[in-house]
Amino acid sequence: MNAFEWVAPKTTEQVSEAARAQGAVLKAGGVDLLDRLKNNLEAPSRVVSLQALKGLGGIAGDAKAGLELGALVTLAQLAGDARVRAAAPKLAEACWHVATPQVRNMATLGGNLAQRTHCWYFRSEHDVCRRKGGSTCFAQRGDNEHHALFGNGVCASVHASTVAPMLLALEAVLTVENGKSSRQLRLEDFFVPPEKDLSRENVLQPGDVITRVRVPPSRAKTGYLKQTAKESFDWPLAVAAVAVELDGATCKRAAVVLGAAAPVPLRARAAEAALVGKPFGPDSIREAAKAAVQGASPLSGNGYRVPVFEVVVRRALEQALEAKS
Amino acid sequence: MSDPSQLSRRGFLGGASVTAATSALLDSAAAHAASGAEPVSGATPITLTLNGAKKTLTVEPRTTLAAALRDSLGLTGTKVVCDRGACSACTVHVDGTPMLGCTLLAIELEGRKIVTIEGLAKGDALHPVQQAFIEQDAMQCGFCTPGMVMSCAGLLTKNKKPTEADARDAIAGNLCRCGTYPKVVAAVLQASGQKPPPTLELASTALAPDGQGRLLGVVGTSLSRGEAPPAGEPQAWGTNAQLRLVGKPTPRIDGRQKVTGAARYTADVRLPGMLYARRVVSVHPHAKVKSIDTSAAEALPGVKAVHVVERTLEGAKLRDPSQVKGERYPTIRYAGQAVAAVAATTPELADQAARLVKVEYEPLPFTVDLEEARGASAPLVFPGPTEQPPTAGGGGAPKGLPQKGNVRGPDVKSRGDVKKGLAEAKLKLSGDYRTQVQTHTPLEAHGVVADWRDDGLTVYVSTQSTASARNELATVFELDAGKVRIISEFMGGGFGAKFGAGTYGVLATHLSRAAKAPVRLVLDREEEHVSAGNRPATVQHLELGATENGTLTALSVQSYGTGGVSTGSGAGFFAERLYATPNFRSEHSDVFTHAGPAAAFRAPGNVQGAFALEQLIDELAEKLGVDPLELRERLDVGEDPRDPQREARRLERKLGAERFGWARRKAPGSDGAVVKRGVGVAQSLWGRFVDMDSSCDVRINRDGSVELLSSVMDIGTGTRTALALVVAEELGLASAADVTLRIGDTHHPVGPSSGGSKTLVGVASVARNAAADARQQFLAEVAGGFGVPATALELVNGEVRKQGEPKGKPFKKVAAGMKREQLTAHAQRKDDYGGNPKSGYGGVQFAEVSVDTETGVVKVERVVAVHDCGRPLNPLAVQSQVNGGVIHGISFALFEERRLDPRSGRMLNANLDQYKVLGSRDTPHIETVLLEHYQGLTSVDANGIGEPANIATAAAVANAVYNAVGVRLRELPMTPRAVLTALKGARS
Repeated sequence: MNAFEWVAPKTTEQVSEAARAQGAVLKAGGVDLLDRLKNNLEAPSRVVSLQALKGLGGIAGDAKAGLELGALVTLAQLAGDARVRAAAPKLAEACWHVATPQVRNMATLGGNLAQRTHCWYFRSEHDVCRRKGGSTCFAQRGDNEHHALFGNGVCASVHASTVAPMLLALEAVLTVENGKSSRQLRLEDFFVPPEKDLSRENVLQPGDVITRVRVPPSRAKTGYLKQTAKESFDWPLAVAAVAVELDGATCKRAAVVLGAAAPVPLRARAAEAALVGKPFGPDSIREAAKAAVQGASPLSGNGYRVPVFEVVVRRALEQALEAKS
Repeated sequence: MSDPSQLSRRGFLGGASVTAATSALLDSAAAHAASGAEPVSGATPITLTLNGAKKTLTVEPRTTLAAALRDSLGLTGTKVVCDRGACSACTVHVDGTPMLGCTLLAIELEGRKIVTIEGLAKGDALHPVQQAFIEQDAMQCGFCTPGMVMSCAGLLTKNKKPTEADARDAIAGNLCRCGTYPKVVAAVLQASGQKPPPTLELASTALAPDGQGRLLGVVGTSLSRGEAPPAGEPQAWGTNAQLRLVGKPTPRIDGRQKVTGAARYTADVRLPGMLYARRVVSVHPHAKVKSIDTSAAEALPGVKAVHVVERTLEGAKLRDPSQVKGERYPTIRYAGQAVAAVAATTPELADQAARLVKVEYEPLPFTVDLEEARGASAPLVFPGPTEQPPTAGGGGAPKGLPQKGNVRGPDVKSRGDVKKGLAEAKLKLSGDYRTQVQTHTPLEAHGVVADWRDDGLTVYVSTQSTASARNELATVFELDAGKVRIISEFMGGGFGAKFGAGTYGVLATHLSRAAKAPVRLVLDREEEHVSAGNRPATVQHLELGATENGTLTALSVQSYGTGGVSTGSGAGFFAERLYATPNFRSEHSDVFTHAGPAAAFRAPGNVQGAFALEQLIDELAEKLGVDPLELRERLDVGEDPRDPQREARRLERKLGAERFGWARRKAPGSDGAVVKRGVGVAQSLWGRFVDMDSSCDVRINRDGSVELLSSVMDIGTGTRTALALVVAEELGLASAADVTLRIGDTHHPVGPSSGGSKTLVGVASVARNAAADARQQFLAEVAGGFGVPATALELVNGEVRKQGEPKGKPFKKVAAGMKREQLTAHAQRKDDYGGNPKSGYGGVQFAEVSVDTETGVVKVERVVAVHDCGRPLNPLAVQSQVNGGVIHGISFALFEERRLDPRSGRMLNANLDQYKVLGSRDTPHIETVLLEHYQGLTSVDANGIGEPANIATAAAVANAVYNAVGVRLRELPMTPRAVLTALKGARS
């Protein structure tokens, strides 16, 4: 790890100012940042800590009003919070399934969304891939078992967040502040696919700070599944997060979001289309699961995960079918 | 330091002498420094509450909490293993919540309350979790233990009555390589006032028949008395039921040190003026080093020495060294090979300096693929034939074998005529099997602290053989062995990879000599994965012939393996010895690749060999329409029907089948569910190896204290406690804790290497013989006080008494009457009674799995492991090792695999999140049944258990997977990809 200067401002404005300096990075829980620094992927001249900020830690709201989550709330707090479990049980579950208990005690919601990919080529100092200014995606023709099945033409990494798919399904909205300005951003508009801009995985600009995550009230039935090979701390084979709103027995609105499938959390539009307007039941679920993997472009080593995604989407939808609300 | 006022303020405060005022000032200064809108850099003071007391320390912004605790404050109980937040070894409590010391920056903890493992006990009173860890034996090497304890203590503050599942969840991030998870869970239950379910069964408690002869056979079935022990040997012991201490489940005597963080491992050693070293390694898998420029590194302030590698110790060596004569630097043959090393005053400076060493490479073509490397046109790893003698832990290859291209061998073992045997067979079966590269992944990485002085060299090493580390350093540095002292006090796991001093040890010694200061060199996790040993990959082709009732007429094994730049990649002696067949042939060839060196790994070869053979035997059973267990009953016969080996296995099959409920087994693939369940069985066989370099002293001091001295290490297996039990038994002491063990130091009499499961085979009887000698000396000294001859006295329950009398005098009191200050008895290993026989031992394991046929995920639900290891000295520790063997086996079967990038030759998953080691939630319910099995070979008759416990597991799991899904997986690991591919193949 290189030497850097440290600043821990108390206001968002100060954070923004400190973070606009050349070579500055933000640190929330720091779980991902320290990994990057220790792997010599980055050598920031300044680390701006968010931990001294006031007011970014709370959880507010309920099922009726929706949830208002501070960006510095830890994943462990979200997983264990009674309001979250009541208003968005599958969000709590998604948080519980992240990494390890200790990581969840440190990792923040904002940090989880802003973390970088865990592609093993990206994480190696010696592989200067496209995301690091090189001209090659090493995964495309290398060992790509854990890599993207969709949208992998430019960069085959998968986004590391397994919480984001559930937040996307719940149509979460971020508050992003920068200095005196503040803007609302649909989570859907937060992630940046590599074909748009390889240098970033989200839209945050220097000085931007995610301060809050709002989960609007929802009557949707939800399901979430993070399928891993190993039950104790493992990166996923497939993640599916679903939210289905019903009108009687008919699906009125559906969100089917895939994680670990593409460089960004991916809405499976075809799967959603297969559900909407049809009775929500085993038949439409089967069709939707099939549709979810349509258009997959597997690489040499990850094709086996296509049917796994189909199964995981189906099982997540089956959870939703059995859910009370 | 960007803000000069900070510097001056610190300077002022540093000189202040009124402590109360200073502390108050420091607090505010620190608060200002570490948390505010003004950036700080360089050395910055912070104040936090550490283990209940306010503490001010100076850190850099980049200093992690773990580094601050360990390097600045000397609180080394907090361990660093992965240094990336993936293993939880560095768990501490921050304001009561378990967090990761390696992933927190110390500077952000201003004003927070930190509790480390050192602060968990209240004075002498251990935390209930610590106490329960000791009683349940929830530890082996102990390196993960502080982190485990902190996680469990954290759980209990939130949840007073956790379930077993809660406990597994709480430690789901804590990796343990020894496999302590089941006992950690049991400890959590105990600490919360609940009773853990019993998981250990001692097969029999029968008494020995009357007589003086040594015991032979299996307790409970065939026990008899043989000849009396040879002259000069102690009397034969009875069965464990007839002993007071030996054979009783006993918490380990060093448990307290392990649960409190006091146990000192190599990386914890801190010497005055100690420097920190970092290696410079090659990023290329095959290259000539054209030049090395160390000037920039040397110019960095704080750098005290730089050393360029002259030769590497690991791996095969050219038979004709003149082929590389004139080479200025060793050729690079794998990515991660050391080129140089630097020593500096801090770890951070050493890292920085290592990056300043400029190495100019001429990259050469390479191959990291076993199949490709066999090809005629593959890039050569070595320009000519090679040799590699084994280490004290095994490995290596026979001398003088042919080498063509990258292929060295074959090494042929043959008896009878396989062709003829196959021609005569009614049934012929064959199969091709593949196993992957598994890295040892001890939680404590390879490391040394080398201290070169004019009068000799002292090196603290994490080693499985203090003797081999000493000999290697003495040879390389041309020192008398007596001038080299090796110390290995506590050792955080080795599994076969830690013999000798290694290139890293040599480097640290060079640096220490040059810098005239002690030097610590500990590999980081990536280096550990890449360069510190692995279980080689194999490709095996098996053929067998059998009669219609299943008798084998022939068995052949042809295998290729790759240990990277080393040999020793064979499939072991498993097929050669397990089942009777008149015609056998094995041909093994090592295939060199440009990859890190293999090392002996927990039953080297046999784990891979068992995976293949035990599946093929299952196939034979199915062909014959015979239950797989029944077929083994028929096959597992030797020339002598009363062979104790076969007898033990027979009983193990029977006991295991009953306990496991083998009768419930259904036909393969008959489970109609999506998640299918299946059961499987496999056998284990290991050789009984004797290390004749086993000796010890036993001392009795006039204050009644008893010591055992030997250079043998306790690598986590419980050697300390086992030897203490033996000595305490012989001297009639009240408990094992009455014996002080001074081991792991070459200043003591030479002890055995811990490889080949031979530690206790070597040294247990030596400990008894020395104790028996000390006992005689002692009784002779004190008999006068009792007015009877020494032969009329006995030592029992911590007392000295006249034979036949109910009450005696306390040992300690009697010892005070010794004429001499100290009695010393020395014993060294002699041949087994009647000479060292070629014998073996093993076990039988049963596994139950579930296979999700839609996702390909395999879960091992339950394992019953039935084993014999001679006389089990401490069944609690034996059980811990069986758990470890099973857990290692499952991790190998399902998860672990070194991934080398075909393009760069570099390891892609050299960490602990993408290199997948089994965790608590993947651990099945494990039940252990232990036999007492006597062969009358020594005064104690103990065998090891580490390796035999690891051999059968992957094979049993593979057979269970077949039983579940009706499709055979002949390749490891059985990942979702492998399972789904196999199922798909079977459908089409």
